Amino acid sequence: MEARVGSSSLRTLGSAALLRRALPSGEFSGRPGGQFQVDSTAWGILALTACGGSAELLDQSRHLLMREQLPDGRLCVKKPHPASYWPTSLAILAWQDSQSCSEAQQRSVRFLLNTTGFHFPRQSDAPSAHDSLLKGWPWVDETHSWVEPTAMSVMALRATGHGRHDRVQEAVRMLLDRQLPHGGWNYGNTLVFGKELHPMPENTGAALAGLSGSVDRDVVLPSLQYLHSEVARLQTPISLGWSLLGLAAWQMAPPNAATLVERCLANQKRYGEYETSALCLLVLGALAMEMGGQIPLLSASVYKGLPLALTQ
Amino acid sequence: METQTDSGTNGGLTRRNVLRAVAAGLVIGTGLLVVPKRYFRLPQQAKTFVAKVDAYQLDIAGVLTLGMMELGISRKELQGKRILLKPNLVETASGAPHINTHPLVLRGAIEAFLRLGAATVMVAEGPGHRRDTLAVYEESGLADVLTEDGITFHDLNYITGYELPNAGSQTTMKTLTFPGLFQEVDWIVSMAKMKTHHWTGATLSMKNLFGVMPGMYYGWPKNVLHKVGIQNSILDINATLKPHFAIVDGIIGMEGDGPIMGSPKQAGVLVMGRNFPAVDATCCRIMGIDPYKVSYLERADNWLGPIGERSIEQRGETIASVQTNFELIDMIPAQQGIRLA
Repeated sequence: MEARVGSSSLRTLGSAALLRRALPSGEFSGRPGGQFQVDSTAWGILALTACGGSAELLDQSRHLLMREQLPDGRLCVKKPHPASYWPTSLAILAWQDSQSCSEAQQRSVRFLLNTTGFHFPRQSDAPSAHDSLLKGWPWVDETHSWVEPTAMSVMALRATGHGRHDRVQEAVRMLLDRQLPHGGWNYGNTLVFGKELHPMPENTGAALAGLSGSVDRDVVLPSLQYLHSEVARLQTPISLGWSLLGLAAWQMAPPNAATLVERCLANQKRYGEYETSALCLLVLGALAMEMGGQIPLLSASVYKGLPLALTQ
Repeated sequence: METQTDSGTNGGLTRRNVLRAVAAGLVIGTGLLVVPKRYFRLPQQAKTFVAKVDAYQLDIAGVLTLGMMELGISRKELQGKRILLKPNLVETASGAPHINTHPLVLRGAIEAFLRLGAATVMVAEGPGHRRDTLAVYEESGLADVLTEDGITFHDLNYITGYELPNAGSQTTMKTLTFPGLFQEVDWIVSMAKMKTHHWTGATLSMKNLFGVMPGMYYGWPKNVLHKVGIQNSILDINATLKPHFAIVDGIIGMEGDGPIMGSPKQAGVLVMGRNFPAVDATCCRIMGIDPYKVSYLERADNWLGPIGERSIEQRGETIASVQTNFELIDMIPAQQGIRLA
């Protein structure tokens, strides 16, 4: 693929690659020729929207996603696994700016606002250093809050006008508490038995995207520096996609972003075709480079009227 | 899938079990305690093979082929079989290749299984810490090896699952969800790294199976399993999945604050066998750890397999000839008091 970040060719090529995963009724599979997946469909909607995909197809996909919603508002990876509700925040984002999905979206918002994971007071001799009482959101019901589902939920609630809600404010504090002392995030542990754990680009990108607009740049500067120093070596779509999104949210971009995206796309010869959500992240990350501090996970209306400083 | 065949009972009683039974009887007689069922289990027997291998550049395929043959694995048994190798890929860090199973051990196993008649060999893993499985695959060096060898790699975190009733019943989980890919293979081979572990004392072939549980259902880092209990989950996964063969990479293992932040430890061994508790108990003894002090092994004893030294027929090198104490850290509760006397 001859993708160039910022060029219309990426939109065209991104759309074409994603449409190969669209099933006849509008939902998306995890891979070409595969079966419907909730998270792939939500990511597909987000990426196709950013690529300027067909409004008719997007509408169809959004409505199919609504069919997966359980009565309490959650969406799960598979209906027989209601505890795995981490795709709920993705669905909220996928339903942005869709009038006909607004009721379903509000149900999912209520679900997130009324749901917490498993939290407990930190004992003085606890091996883990983080504040285990601070609530974000878990991957799976009745487990602890972790970085990526919390960052996604913060973005989803912010996109639906709940950025000042107590749950979002607490989740922002939780994300900051999980930031590693030397910068960056991993899945959500900081120090264990006194040793600082390693940061990971994908979690760092997600956390930075989730925190943009909510905290001062100084607070996350070591993490921005970590990610900026890492991004040039990244070869895989989840790490690179989240890194580009996280940096873009703070108006930063690697000078060779186009080359990195091209190399990552070319690596499909090595790894096989990317899973849909990974491909979507890469497309969204590449498009974020041209959006001046906005990230394509959030609709333009989220940024309307905000002073530029809030996106920095 | 076939089940492991090397964990049958021998019908006899060991001195240890007789003493346990007597003690249990006394306690029951006094009505003071309920004695765990494991004290009444009949002893089992298993074989393990230990090979000295000082460097990853040596003929690992040859060593593994020899070891498997010593353990009674024939061409007839493996003929036409589809083999899934499950390495230990957790995360990567600069200067810390000892976190993950070495790619050249995977290459050696692939070659050994193909030599012994397997139809196909694939590699699959669902890393616990990284959402980006391909990044671990690439940065661990495994992608280079498998690409060169034309072997397929699968991300177990994103494969739609199938449920099995929990055969271990040690946790509150009623069912376990395994990757659908497992229904398409004949043998599941755990290829663990020999490491100390800050939650379980040691992580070997049994604990390595955490990585088969898909993140899409269990979260990152396998949150559900941590919530219901790590040691109990290890037992449930092994009892339910019934994996077929274990190979532990102890050429360079990890000591101290494993499974991530510990230091490299040259043990210079590969350990293998059909029975996972027996393999792990042998590894523990090599590491200077008492397997009876590692909770999940002690509880697996004579249920999922034997861990007693006299119940394990040792092939290849003797434990004494390769034994080297792995550093244990006093401040880590799971590593306190587990040193082999």
